[in-house]
Amino acid sequence: MSEEKKQDFRVVPGAWELSGYNFRVEGRGMRLMMQGMKEGKFTGIRCGSCGMVYLPGPFYCRKCLVEIEEPVDVGDHGTIRSFTATMSDIRGNPLPEPQVTLMVQLDGCDSWIMGVLRDVDWREVRIGQRVKVKWRPSEERTGSLQDMDCFEYE
Amino acid sequence: MRNVAIVGVGYCPVFVSKRNDVSIPEMISEAIHNAYLNCGLTPENVDAFTFGNMHTFEGVNMPHLWSIDHLTALGKPIMRIATGGTTGMSAFHCAYYHVASGLYDVVMTITFEKHSEGDAQVGLAGIITPEIMTVLSLGIDLTGGSGMGGLGGGSAGGISFQATSYLHHSGAGIEHIDAQAALERRNAAKNPYAHLKDPECTAEKIAQTPLVSYPIRYGHICPTTDGATVCILASEDKAAKIADKAAWIHAVANCTTDATTGNLIEGLITDPAEQMSCQLAAKRAYERAGIEDPRKEIDLVEIYNGFAHQTLMFLEKLGLCEVGEAHKMLERGETEIDGRLPVNASGGVVSTNSIGTSALNRVTECALQIMGKAEGGHQVPKKVRKALAHGWGGLMQYNTVTILGDAPLKR
Repeated sequence: MSEEKKQDFRVVPGAWELSGYNFRVEGRGMRLMMQGMKEGKFTGIRCGSCGMVYLPGPFYCRKCLVEIEEPVDVGDHGTIRSFTATMSDIRGNPLPEPQVTLMVQLDGCDSWIMGVLRDVDWREVRIGQRVKVKWRPSEERTGSLQDMDCFEYE
Repeated sequence: MRNVAIVGVGYCPVFVSKRNDVSIPEMISEAIHNAYLNCGLTPENVDAFTFGNMHTFEGVNMPHLWSIDHLTALGKPIMRIATGGTTGMSAFHCAYYHVASGLYDVVMTITFEKHSEGDAQVGLAGIITPEIMTVLSLGIDLTGGSGMGGLGGGSAGGISFQATSYLHHSGAGIEHIDAQAALERRNAAKNPYAHLKDPECTAEKIAQTPLVSYPIRYGHICPTTDGATVCILASEDKAAKIADKAAWIHAVANCTTDATTGNLIEGLITDPAEQMSCQLAAKRAYERAGIEDPRKEIDLVEIYNGFAHQTLMFLEKLGLCEVGEAHKMLERGETEIDGRLPVNASGGVVSTNSIGTSALNRVTECALQIMGKAEGGHQVPKKVRKALAHGWGGLMQYNTVTILGDAPLKR
């Protein structure tokens, strides 16, 4: 690049002062699930047409395109369907120990949920292994996603 | 429906991390200029334009409108498309519809991304901001590792679950992802328009790069690239007059399924490695192109692979081999530049990722291979009669397919 062109080119710093947003979110299925979590169980929604069980439940079936409303208890044991061991936190800083996160298909459910598997050697984790939910003590549960502490092996 | 040909391809001169010597409109202009030069057309010859790049990646919106004079599109029809990683191919498909329908004879597709001026993570985060805000408000812990938290942890998170599932179902190992990444870095070294080049790269060298999120290593991941790509399409009667060599569009198809990893709120998390939409898009494309046995009829493939395992995974999803066979093809050397089925002779997205261009580059690379015009030593030695270009993106579930041939399709 010529000296003249270098002088003509500038880098102008810029940043967005982001405005606030107000997202409206369908929350019935999530509320149903969290009400169950307070009692130490999962509640999903079953499609009466095809039998598909969702957790948390949408109030219509993605496949059949019909309204669905049948609450159904889903097991808190399940099977590992995929996993990763993350070596750094969300900002890229190295973690002291790799964090294992699972995709789990709970018994009696078609959709999967995600969660942490603690205190394991990440090299030993495999798809197909059986896990169960470790709930927080009942007096600490508030009906939020925090009521599930983590996954642990059966 | 009319036959449509690719008659001109233009790249900006280099694809690198930072083009500090040009602005966004200047970088786009370079590719447009080269496209005109390569086919002998001038702006008066182009009837309409389609434009592709991702929203907010550069912190700007409507770049197709404020750079309109640089696009040589003043006073002409133009529309912009953004579909994630597939953006470039979606804009190309749109141009194809323009010409195939008979509305326009010559249409230019313009794509770019100039990552160095912005922050792609902001644009990506914007895709699922309502979801993230919702689960955060309901007690999920994205960083501390408790409860239902950890949506994969970090940018490579979601893709890591896909890679783990792919390895499980295919029987491949992390060493195969290493070898695939190494092959593409070596191919990129022969492509003047590639970014990460390493002519001596080996699987062992990739294996020494740190794990980011098992099984994804640093060496498996695409760079962020500044670049622009332009493609000119023409109707059959015009194409013969314009170009001595052309690549003919035999089929386009696209498909999406549920946002598998993008919708925790409504219970839609399933296998990110299933990619049913890729299988459906490929099936439709083969039908439209009159291809009965893609494994025999497709001569060359360009696969969208932001992460190296995706080359192998999509080779299977596209029906170009059996499930569990892609990594064996790699072991046998069949996917190398001089192999039976060259895959990503360009070095793929894993070597060069200016996102708006990336899916279009899959198409233009197939076109140049058919024309025999691939530069710098990555032209494959075999005769390419039919080639398949694949795009992937959206919320991990959107797939696009384009099939090109060396002659017009008999309809």
